[in-house]
Amino acid sequence: MTVQPATATPPPLVRLEGIGKSFGPVHANRDITLDIHAGRVLALLGENGAGKSTLMSMLSGVFPPDSGTILLDGAPVRFQSPREAIDAGIGMVYQHFMLVGRMTVAQNVLLGQDRGLFVRPRDMERRVGELAGRYGLDIDPAAPVAGLSMGERQRVEILKLLYRDSRVLIFDEPTAVLTPTEAGQLFAALRRMTGLGKAIVFISHKLEEVLDVADTVAILRQGRIVDTVARQAVTSRHELARRMVGREVLLEIERAEAPLGGAVLELEGLSGHGLDGLDLTLRRGEIVAVVGVAGNGQKALVDVVTGLAAPAGGEVRLQGKPWAEFFRDPPWNGAVAHIPEDRLGVGTCPELDLVDNVLLTTRKGFAPGLFLDKKSALGATRAIIRRFHVAAHGPEVRARQLSGGNLQKLVLGREFFRKPRLIVAEQPSQGLDVAATEEVWHRLLNARMQAGVLLVTGDLNEALQLADRVAVMFRGRFMAVLDAAQARDLEKIGLLMAGVDAGAPRA
Amino acid sequence: MEAALIVPLLAAAVQSGTPILFATLGEMFTERAGVLNLGVEGMMVVGALAAFLTAQATGSPWLGLLAAGCAAALVGGLHGVVCLHFLGNQTVSGLALTIFGVGLANYLGTPFIGQRAPGFEPFDVPVLSAIPLLGDILFRHDALVYLSFLLPPLFWLFWHRTRPGLALTAAGEYPRAASAAGLNPVALRWAGILAGGFLVGLGGAYLSLAYTHLWTNGMTAGRGWIAVALVIFAFWRPGRAMFGAYLFGGVMAFQLRLQASGTDVPSSFLLMLPYALTVLALVLSALRGRGASSSAAPAALGVNIEPEG
Amino acid sequence: MEPPRWGSIFIFPVALGVSLGVSCLLLAAQGKSPALGLEVLWSGAFGAWYTVEDTLLKTVPIFLCSLGVAVTFRMQVWNIGAEGQFALGAVGATWAALTFANLPGALLLPLMFACAAAAGGAWAAVPAWLKLRLGINEIISTLMFNYIGILILEYLVYGPWKDAGSHGFPMTSQFVPAAVVGHFPGTRLHWGVALCVVCAVGLWVLLTRTRPGFELKASGESLRAARYARMPYNTLVLLVMALCGALAGWAGLLEASAVTGRLQPSLMVGYGFTAIVVAWLARLSPARIALFSFFLAALRVGAENLQLELGVPAAFGGIMEGLILLTVLAGQFFNGYRIRPGGAHR
Repeated sequence: MTVQPATATPPPLVRLEGIGKSFGPVHANRDITLDIHAGRVLALLGENGAGKSTLMSMLSGVFPPDSGTILLDGAPVRFQSPREAIDAGIGMVYQHFMLVGRMTVAQNVLLGQDRGLFVRPRDMERRVGELAGRYGLDIDPAAPVAGLSMGERQRVEILKLLYRDSRVLIFDEPTAVLTPTEAGQLFAALRRMTGLGKAIVFISHKLEEVLDVADTVAILRQGRIVDTVARQAVTSRHELARRMVGREVLLEIERAEAPLGGAVLELEGLSGHGLDGLDLTLRRGEIVAVVGVAGNGQKALVDVVTGLAAPAGGEVRLQGKPWAEFFRDPPWNGAVAHIPEDRLGVGTCPELDLVDNVLLTTRKGFAPGLFLDKKSALGATRAIIRRFHVAAHGPEVRARQLSGGNLQKLVLGREFFRKPRLIVAEQPSQGLDVAATEEVWHRLLNARMQAGVLLVTGDLNEALQLADRVAVMFRGRFMAVLDAAQARDLEKIGLLMAGVDAGAPRA
Repeated sequence: MEAALIVPLLAAAVQSGTPILFATLGEMFTERAGVLNLGVEGMMVVGALAAFLTAQATGSPWLGLLAAGCAAALVGGLHGVVCLHFLGNQTVSGLALTIFGVGLANYLGTPFIGQRAPGFEPFDVPVLSAIPLLGDILFRHDALVYLSFLLPPLFWLFWHRTRPGLALTAAGEYPRAASAAGLNPVALRWAGILAGGFLVGLGGAYLSLAYTHLWTNGMTAGRGWIAVALVIFAFWRPGRAMFGAYLFGGVMAFQLRLQASGTDVPSSFLLMLPYALTVLALVLSALRGRGASSSAAPAALGVNIEPEG
Repeated sequence: MEPPRWGSIFIFPVALGVSLGVSCLLLAAQGKSPALGLEVLWSGAFGAWYTVEDTLLKTVPIFLCSLGVAVTFRMQVWNIGAEGQFALGAVGATWAALTFANLPGALLLPLMFACAAAAGGAWAAVPAWLKLRLGINEIISTLMFNYIGILILEYLVYGPWKDAGSHGFPMTSQFVPAAVVGHFPGTRLHWGVALCVVCAVGLWVLLTRTRPGFELKASGESLRAARYARMPYNTLVLLVMALCGALAGWAGLLEASAVTGRLQPSLMVGYGFTAIVVAWLARLSPARIALFSFFLAALRVGAENLQLELGVPAAFGGIMEGLILLTVLAGQFFNGYRIRPGGAHR
């Protein structure tokens, strides 16, 4: 690993000074001061909701800070739009790529860039190819974007910024969509960019990759910078983790033991849809976490278990019944509940009120015949709002008016109302603040008393806090199913997530 | 001799396919900028009337042609205002546009029913018209037919080899990517609506100034709707649009000929042919394409651009 | 609850004002006095009891078609085929009326209603099936089915069903009395008005009180959520399309049986298209559909009066319909009421 010698520090390219930002009562950022140097990778390390993205959104012109100043080359700047920031040399690679699938790599990079009526594809491709070569970004400039992998698309986004002569490139959780190999390629490219004088800001909540790539690590917690350390000065990973998470990593979430019951979900050699021979038995009373980089088959697994996709190979049994029999006419209650990742788009109808949103999956419980018993549904909704501490003005507000945490609590309340035996929870605390996260976690732990929980998460901390066992998923396979104690070995899990079997001797 | 029957039919197919081709390409242009405009039928008939009235008043079919394009683009502009600035539902706005356009043309055109106007006359293209068979089919038409020959290659060139073409594609695929690249997707969509509307108007003008030289109400007879279907059938590609338009032109010409020949087949069934063929064409392209139609559609088609932030 | 947006109350009056203004300009352009035109328009619709009767008579088919259209729009199924479904309903009813002319009214009329519903429903179900099975764009297919349906009707009245004594006019013979839907005593209003009330109440109950109604609402709101919540989307689409076809079919039956007493091409005056305008103006709510059906029926009757009195082409009504819809669509921007595009081509 190349580490810049810490000589006399040159003046920073960008200095953030006393930056603050609030959304309503929530202080997303408080008094943040941070230097960004040319030729260095600065990692912003922090949990979900720590304020990393907010901070960088201000730097890249999405919205202005409430207080503090941004200094570029020592002079204060105030961006009204991302375009102004890009013109000033600051660009961001978002998690959602802004690419036109039908157009080629070169066309995407050069979109809106040159003057003149006609374009010459050869010439465009040559220019983009040269640029990519200079930064060691492996890509075919003539390829249509629609056929590219996520990693290649990310390279196109990087090329767009490089073509616009960006000096500061901000990466928002760039590895979330990448395979481990692609992540390695990205890190190599980042080093190449810093070698050519670019400043890189790397937003992440993953410890390992931060230590792989960063020159300096700034740790954010609850909107504040709690520490800024040079990579060389980091001696203990656990120390870093503790500073990032605060006390929670030490203070175990209280978990009462739950007696193990019968099997609620059995997978035997489940294959198809990109899945490759999954074996797992989930019993009532336990939480099994499925961890892995997004896109390694988690979606397909959830679709099969919740009955949205039929298993192509292998056997799946729910509460002892074969998949086909179970999902022919599944009971609305006492069976499977699903807490989807996309709360607002899938888990609820944004424009409907809370009663209707409760009815979404419980409707059969309020319609013995043809007619819906709206009165009981209203009562049930009130009860859910009360018992799950949903902060809402009443059952008649619309789902989209709730905050993420309150919406998630409503979804939990609704799904638990069905008295499920199997709960599938996808990224249940994603984007939630600490208090809501804690509440969601407690609810899931309590749910073990009556159900088995399949927790699909990309958040290792969440998995460690909640799970009795951890299944590590890579390319549609379970690399290993570890019990909670084994799973504490972060390094081992990280390797498994990257597809390296730690049991096998290392090369 | 077979050719003696087939060649005039194919020539007639080109002729009656031409207005559909203009309308199809116009709608395709608008849709590739991301705007679904179901007002084609209304815009086309308004174009036909504007062409007729202008040509009658000025004696110049070319001025009539210009007027047709402008009038249809103007009607299309209503769609632009409703959808691009007031974020109205594109489907319903297009329907409203058709209701309005058909009403307007019938209202203003009623006093002129049966009147004549100077139009485009066929002429033989030197040399080319002498080619055996092909010359008779393709090169003994009027100027508008020849103009329509140029459009598909020009469209291809525009979308693949020009900067505005790429920008327009971006507006139809992913407006936010376009605006992130410093382009103005709303302005681009306006261009798509107006230019597409202009072409649709030319299709209307063909009906009143070349196909016939007189005015009757309802002269588009669903051709605008067929054009909307053909855009899907053509997978948003200009070359296939040409094929589809001539296919429909052929069916219409065939149907007219059969009626004129005094066949036993009831005329209602003959009149049904183009409409039934439209559904059939969509079924066939769905069966053959297996989802190609949905992936060929501009990704942001029919989706309004919400203000950012 | 959303805070009520008071601006929304003004949308329709403003839209109406704009449309009337443009219409006045168009009248003036043809050398007619706008003031006189508006007066004739008004008196044509509301000037006397018999004009109000005319308006109510025209309200019936528009209302029935619009009820059905609105239900399909709720599901974001862009069914614009009410006109063709109307035609097939009339054809189905006429077939029963001509074939079983000897049956007593108590049997014949229900049979006609069943045939009209079946024919109209089937005419709507085919495009629905094509959409679900092959992904065929329902806008295009229902529209083409309109043209084809009207031509089927024409074929029948010009051909096999033509009345021998009609002096060459394309029409069937007069229905036997048992096949005619009766009138309220002392008026020209037929029992179809009562049918409208029954259908509206039934539909309202279905939509607001039943589980399928709830599933319709939720599926219309979010397809992804409907899939997540295991709603029977395909069944629901077929159901609403068939329902719409049946309602439009009954409208066709009532026009043939109660208004003209026979099947003839002049039945097809575009009620099915007006119904789409009504459904959207009414924001898909049954109660408002009644209101706007009456309003647009009045516009039609008034426009007919304009044609009679001032020689203004009948297309005047269409212009106003289109303009009102366009302005209301734009105005809904201020209302926050927008239905996301169903993705016409996907």
